[in-house]
Amino acid sequence: MTDMQQVEILLVEDNPTDAELTLRAFKARNFANQVFVARDGAEALDFFFGDGSHPLRDIGVVPKVVLLDLKLPKVDGLEVLRRLKADERTRTIPVVILTSSREEPDIAAAYRLGANSYIVKPVDFEAFARAVSEVGLYWLLLNEPPR
Amino acid sequence: MTRLTLERRIEIGFAIAVVIILAVGAAALRSTAATVESARWVAHTLEVRGELEATFADLIYAETAVRGYVITGDTTYLAPYDSALASLGGLLAGLRALTADNQAQLKRLDSLAALVAVRLERFRWTVETRRAGGPSAAGRAVIGGRGKELMQLIHGLVGQMEDEEGRLLAQRSATLQSKARLARFAAWGGALVAVTLALIAGALISRELAGRRRAEVALGETQTRFRQVLASSTAVIYANTVSGTTFAPSWVSENVTRITGYGIDEPLRPTWWIDNLHPDDRARVLAEMPALLANEQLTTEYRFRYKDGTYHWVHDEARLLRSAAGTPVEVFGSWVDITDRRRAEETLRVSEERFRLLLGSVRDYAIYMLDPTGHVVSWNAGAEQIKGYRAEEIIGQHFSRFYTAEDVAAGKPEAALRAAAAQGRYEEENWRLRKDGSRFWADVVIGAVQDERGALVGFAKVTRDLTERQRAEEALRASEERFRILAVTANDAIISADSRGDITYFNPGAERIFGYALEEVTGKPLTVLMPERFRDAHRTGLARYLATGEARVVGKTVELAGRKKDGTEFPLELSLASWRHGPEVAFTAIIRDITERKRVEDTLRRHTAQLEVANAELDAFAYSVSHDLRAPLRGIDGFSQALLEDYAERLDVTGKDYLARVRSASQRMATLIDDLLNLSRVTRHQMHVAGVDLSALARGIATDLQKGDPERRAEFIIAPGLQVQADPGLMRVVLQNLLENAWKFTGKRPHARIEVGSATHDGRPAYFVRDNGAGFDMTYVHKLFGAFQRLHGAQEFDGTGVGLATVQRVIHRHGGRVWAEGAVDGGATFYFTL
Repeated sequence: MTDMQQVEILLVEDNPTDAELTLRAFKARNFANQVFVARDGAEALDFFFGDGSHPLRDIGVVPKVVLLDLKLPKVDGLEVLRRLKADERTRTIPVVILTSSREEPDIAAAYRLGANSYIVKPVDFEAFARAVSEVGLYWLLLNEPPR
Repeated sequence: MTRLTLERRIEIGFAIAVVIILAVGAAALRSTAATVESARWVAHTLEVRGELEATFADLIYAETAVRGYVITGDTTYLAPYDSALASLGGLLAGLRALTADNQAQLKRLDSLAALVAVRLERFRWTVETRRAGGPSAAGRAVIGGRGKELMQLIHGLVGQMEDEEGRLLAQRSATLQSKARLARFAAWGGALVAVTLALIAGALISRELAGRRRAEVALGETQTRFRQVLASSTAVIYANTVSGTTFAPSWVSENVTRITGYGIDEPLRPTWWIDNLHPDDRARVLAEMPALLANEQLTTEYRFRYKDGTYHWVHDEARLLRSAAGTPVEVFGSWVDITDRRRAEETLRVSEERFRLLLGSVRDYAIYMLDPTGHVVSWNAGAEQIKGYRAEEIIGQHFSRFYTAEDVAAGKPEAALRAAAAQGRYEEENWRLRKDGSRFWADVVIGAVQDERGALVGFAKVTRDLTERQRAEEALRASEERFRILAVTANDAIISADSRGDITYFNPGAERIFGYALEEVTGKPLTVLMPERFRDAHRTGLARYLATGEARVVGKTVELAGRKKDGTEFPLELSLASWRHGPEVAFTAIIRDITERKRVEDTLRRHTAQLEVANAELDAFAYSVSHDLRAPLRGIDGFSQALLEDYAERLDVTGKDYLARVRSASQRMATLIDDLLNLSRVTRHQMHVAGVDLSALARGIATDLQKGDPERRAEFIIAPGLQVQADPGLMRVVLQNLLENAWKFTGKRPHARIEVGSATHDGRPAYFVRDNGAGFDMTYVHKLFGAFQRLHGAQEFDGTGVGLATVQRVIHRHGGRVWAEGAVDGGATFYFTL
């Protein structure tokens, strides 16, 4: 089980296939232990604001990056993004949109709400794995967050 | 008779006076000479008498002496006798000399001398007797000797001679007296005349002197006046002395100071004049100077600098004086400031020029002059414009050529001139001819022009081309007719109302729509055509509009409800206009029964709503496709890969190949989905037209293609400056597709050439992308732009068959056309217009 205190990547993904493939890609880079997967938007919000199904979650520990799908059950990705960027505590967490949608309005809305990056999931697994691992590399190792 | 000059008269006067004075002098001289003569004669007479008496006295002495001797015998008594003897001869000779001019006296003197001689002889004899005879003899001799008688004779003779001398004296004195009187008379007379003349001369001279004095006074006054005239004159008078060809100022009138501001001495400086000539006039004026010497006079005008530095125009008239020998000596001239005149002339000239230009620039009116017989003497631009003649070809021609042949035959040109001459002005509207023979409807005014004595000197003609106006009037009539017919035949109701809102016009369309006949509603308020609930609003609105001009309905198209004669209500569309008819406001409404349209609109609205729902569903579908359809493909591909990685040792070659095919198929499916989404996106994309540089766009895409495959050699020929108005994003899609196709289909060419350019197609610019690639068979050209239509196998060239469909959709959205030309292995060209 993921050690909650060590969560560095929050992956918000409802599609188990995509989630597993993403984890597989991270595993190849040895990030897998630090990834927590939220199955829908509500769970993602619970993770941050601790008001529901995640009693383990202790507010105060923040992931280094959030990988956010847009099309999610319950609360959709853009709403999650809006809430994260609206809250003082979570505003500085980088959010990378990782989605199948290449629709212009989605891209525009995501950036307007403060997304730090927007990546369309390639169908080609090799390309997908490359993209995911590069995102992880960049945000976990290269990016210098504010203190 | 010529009047003698004063000098001549005085000369003559003085000559007469001199002659008279000389005459008086001569007369006085003669008088004096007569007096002297007279005195000489008196003295002569007295001398003769003295001599005679001395002679007689000597004889007496001698007698006495003789007698004493005789008596006494004493010889001492004889002494007087001896001296008498001695002097008597001299005395008688003196008498002879004195009376030499008088024969009678000489004769008497001869007698006297004889008697004296006798007497003296007697004395001697007595003496002798005495001496010899003693006293008695002597006594008898004395007594007997007749001595006494002799003495008496002598005495008588002497007396005669003295008388003679006295008579002569008296006679001569009388002559002399008369001469002296005459001389005195002459002297007095002459003196009198001389005095008279002197008085006359004096009077003359004094009169002359008085005249002169008066003349001098008059001269002085004249000079004073002259000076004042000069001083107050606007002309400066000057004099120059001339030596050879040079002029030296010698005198200038004092008003030079008042006029030019220069001191009286300044103009006398030799270079004053030249120095102050305006530089632009100097050369000209100096060049004119020799003319002064040649013609004796010179009139010129130039600008001259006054003391205050301003330049004034000056009119200078100079005259040359020559000496008797013909040498130029002096130049006199007058010099007048004509700046004001110049300015006035200039103003007049400008005014005339302006008027001329004004006339010349008038194009809407032909303005020209005729002489009294009707020949053209002037011509303006408007005349040229309207009538077509140029000035040089019409001036001198008779104006009847502007009339139609009928009018000329009817004598109208002459009649018009006669009427204008008689009444001063003649006007008409009629046809006139242009140079090219065409007619125009002219408004003509002919005005008679008279000189100051009222004599006719010509005519001023103003002609206006009213053809346009007439055409406009006809057009207006036609338009009115058209609108009348329109109003009668219109399907719509056309209703007019006055400012009270009462109906004044009701067209057949209105009759049809509302069910009322024209006669039924004319004069009725508009409210009869409205449902009850609108009537108050109508009355309020009408009153407000009339009072404030605030329009809520006027000038707009609104939808309202109407009421037919049978009371049924129907929806209508109303366009209301108002206009001023004199002081009155009137309204016209065009009303359309929109019952049917409302129904159609409702249907349309319903359909539109359905369409919107469908579109929204389509969007959701596209979104869903985009998102959900690809996720499983990613699973297929991802887990196939996982299988290949994790279970490679358990798969044989065929198994691995199958898995590779699964992956390939899923990726191809993803590509298809992307292309379909693109096609759909192109359709739904909101267009924003802007300037697009196709050349730059094509260069960018070409560069990307080259970078994507650096191994390939391909030549891009992109025409510069291809500018279009289009949606930039969509144009990128078009070029991206066409250039990617070209790039793809030239992939097997060793020398690939891809060209982007423009051509003209049906008069519009067409743009093309041309390649020398695989080309296509023109038989199937119609399939080229259909979605999922491919003319090449996937093994030959990969692709989904959506790219050209997308291009076509973009071009159609721009209102353009796209087409292709090609041949198998002959390359392909894709054209599009926008």
